[in-house]
Amino acid sequence: MNYETKLREQCRRAVDAAKQCGADEVEVLAQTSRAISVEIEKHDLQTSSSQQETMVGVRAFVDRRVGFACTNVLEELDATCADAVKLAKASPQDDHNVLADPVPVTPIDGLYDPAAEAFSVSDAVEQAIRMIETADSMDRRLVLGGGSFSANLSSRCIVTTRGIDVSDTGSLFVFHALATAKDGQKVSNMAFHFDASHSVAGIDVGPVAAHACRDALGSLGAERGESFVGPVVLSPNAVQSIFAGLFSFQLNAKNALRGASRWGGLLGQSVAATTLTVVDDGCLPGGVATESFDREGLPHRKLVLIDAGVARALMHNAYTARAMKADNTSHASGSARSIPAIGTTNLSVVPGTETKDEMIAGIKNGLLVNRFSGSSNPISGDYSGVAKAAYLIKDGKLDRPVTGTLIAGNVFESLHKIIGISSETERVYTAVLPYVGIDDVSVTAE
Amino acid sequence: MEDVLARIAAQAGGWVELRFQGRSTKQVSVRNGELEESSSKRIQGIGVRALVDGVFGFASTTDLREQSVLSAVEAAQSAARTSAAAKKHRIPGLAAATMAVGTFPVDTDDPLDDHPLEEKLELVMRIDERIRKASSSIVSSSTSYAEIQDEKIIVTSDGARTHLFVAIPEFRVMAVAQKDGNQCFGMKANGVNGGWRDLFAAMSPEDMADYAVRTAVEQLTAPLPQGGLATVVLDPGLVGVLSHEAIGHTVEADIVLGGAITAEKMNEKVASELITMVDSGASEHAPHATGTLPVDDEGVTTRKTTLIENGVLRSYLHNRETAAHYDVEPTGNARAFEYSDAPIIRMRNTYIEPGATPVEDLIAGVEDGYYMCGLGFGGQADSNAEFMFGVREARRIHDGKLGEVVRGATISGNAFDVLSSVDAVGNDFQWDLGAGTCGKSQYAKVDAGGPHLRCRATIGGRQ
Repeated sequence: MNYETKLREQCRRAVDAAKQCGADEVEVLAQTSRAISVEIEKHDLQTSSSQQETMVGVRAFVDRRVGFACTNVLEELDATCADAVKLAKASPQDDHNVLADPVPVTPIDGLYDPAAEAFSVSDAVEQAIRMIETADSMDRRLVLGGGSFSANLSSRCIVTTRGIDVSDTGSLFVFHALATAKDGQKVSNMAFHFDASHSVAGIDVGPVAAHACRDALGSLGAERGESFVGPVVLSPNAVQSIFAGLFSFQLNAKNALRGASRWGGLLGQSVAATTLTVVDDGCLPGGVATESFDREGLPHRKLVLIDAGVARALMHNAYTARAMKADNTSHASGSARSIPAIGTTNLSVVPGTETKDEMIAGIKNGLLVNRFSGSSNPISGDYSGVAKAAYLIKDGKLDRPVTGTLIAGNVFESLHKIIGISSETERVYTAVLPYVGIDDVSVTAE
Repeated sequence: MEDVLARIAAQAGGWVELRFQGRSTKQVSVRNGELEESSSKRIQGIGVRALVDGVFGFASTTDLREQSVLSAVEAAQSAARTSAAAKKHRIPGLAAATMAVGTFPVDTDDPLDDHPLEEKLELVMRIDERIRKASSSIVSSSTSYAEIQDEKIIVTSDGARTHLFVAIPEFRVMAVAQKDGNQCFGMKANGVNGGWRDLFAAMSPEDMADYAVRTAVEQLTAPLPQGGLATVVLDPGLVGVLSHEAIGHTVEADIVLGGAITAEKMNEKVASELITMVDSGASEHAPHATGTLPVDDEGVTTRKTTLIENGVLRSYLHNRETAAHYDVEPTGNARAFEYSDAPIIRMRNTYIEPGATPVEDLIAGVEDGYYMCGLGFGGQADSNAEFMFGVREARRIHDGKLGEVVRGATISGNAFDVLSSVDAVGNDFQWDLGAGTCGKSQYAKVDAGGPHLRCRATIGGRQ
């Protein structure tokens, strides 16, 4: 019996058990995860591990009251169902507590590679070694201080009393490298790079290690920078750190419903420069977060969140769609361990037409930030932190690496001061992002 | 099960560690009077770590039958063997340690299970309403209760055989005040290792709500702080955050080996001689600190570890592997969050020892400076001890007296420089990070605190 068939049996059993306990509506998500991982530390292999777990999450509704319970102790599934119903009965009523109505789900190609079933710990070790060897082949001053390679197989099934009955299986290989360069007393910033593939054939760890290594080598010998207020070019990684959390928070319909989102009331209005278009697409071919259906069993679809600087859409699940009388955009997120939340899938900033180098060529005095170590408040928009692996830009060219440089500003303001969006993009976790240039950033050399 | 695990460990052929963990969690959260979540979680499984040819391998199973545990042992040993050929630096051996034997119950006379869900939900709803009704400036409220209850059995092939129980409840409140389009936050979170009554021993839920409201409303009309280097009095909350985030991580031996700033500083002066910093598995000075654990996840009896003694760096935090590397005794800092996590080096209760100065004298000695309390929104610290934290509540000090509130303050600098600038340490003590969860590739419940202290640090605020 394959994993999806077993999960479907568990889901149906749990739906029946919850109904017998008094639930009038039930949603059950059962999920089996199988993972192999190898860690890199101090330029050497660390612990290798293999894991498997099946988790079942039960959402029970009693007269528009809702409770949630989950377990990996499948022998106790009936007790878990009883718990969910008990929690529901003790909770306050909320008219927006509903399950999604079924929508046909079309499986998305390319999410599952049968070859992943045979992927072994020794295959994962081989990939981790390849990352270390890539660094060795580039420069003896390089150290992979951290990194990992993991092979993940996940099967899911969702069954609800509203008629949703969907399942899928996916494979995902995830790898990252953290590189540092040391030359005598000189130590570079730590540089990070990441990639992922759904197929065995798509695994290519060399470029990931090489990218991190190049960034580390480049920042070797960095010295004190300069203080100014002016243009800064953010790498895709820095764009993710500073902007992505705010997009995700501000365009989350639940936050709009609570009155916590400034953009919640600004749909149709300008929130950014006209060059900025932001899209979320859970069906993106090859996307890390691509799945056939969301946490509530509905098929994903592409959603334009910001179009040429204008806020166009909020991300909804069944609760917010009902509460705000809006279309459900299939953005229910989470696993069997948690109640459905709202979240982005594959978030992307649509690339521009000029290259990163062309963008830099247009800057007389500025800063390139490859990594941002600090905080970005998704509510107030304030961000401040240290620019890592950063370079001064002088007369259109990278001048020298700098260290101990702080950048600060406000995302809401910075979005109106975008001076460039690069044509090249990189994958940063689930996001696909370009380099973004912004003006009037406060840069302080410590 | 203890007997089964002991038998498997004895017959495994080589060093193995078997950890059973059964975890129950509950969560109730309310926002603006509406229920956000009412949930329970129950997970269990066994994590197996094996050391073969100088390499660790790890596997986990949710199937508790003996045959499945044996398969997990084989999988862990096989994973280790597979990596061994390629590993450059084999682990020569694990440091000898005092391996724990016995049962350790939760330290409370008011167990969480004696209080039904309805009581917890009623409290959360009532406190959330109290926040919203406290002031016309309050536009949003958020209140939540969460609890973790763990049962663990830890057995190793070299002598650990222990059964322990942990209970960690926590309570959080947040108030958002608004005026003229300007929003300010007030928050308070407490957590303990213990029972229901212990959770509210230091501060009642009503006082927590009132504190969140007051700090949110006060900030609405408050000016921003003047940026720059200033004399500051830090409260036990910020002293705890500084100890844990900015210093503590730099003395975790795995981070040290990865190139932390402390790598070359053992037995060197790194702070004012007024500073003695400790990380401990016990709850010294005040009861029920969240990171309290008598036994770590390698089965090692935990120790009180003096990290900095009168300003001099004296110890790192170790597991058995790094203790062997440095030829010292393990400190009992190997921790795993769930059964499916392999133990790594983590802090427990991290604090600065109280000094001799009354708190009012600390403030009275500041001509022009700030009094700063608790961790606010945002913060980061690097392995070179550079840090920047948002501050929950900040006030000016003028001529030795507390003055006006300022909003949006941040504190930053190099933690060792800040601790070197300390010229007085308070004679009080408080845990304040009990609701905190530390992230380092996996989670850990930790606590941190200390006395008030006076130092120099860089103050920031958006201008």
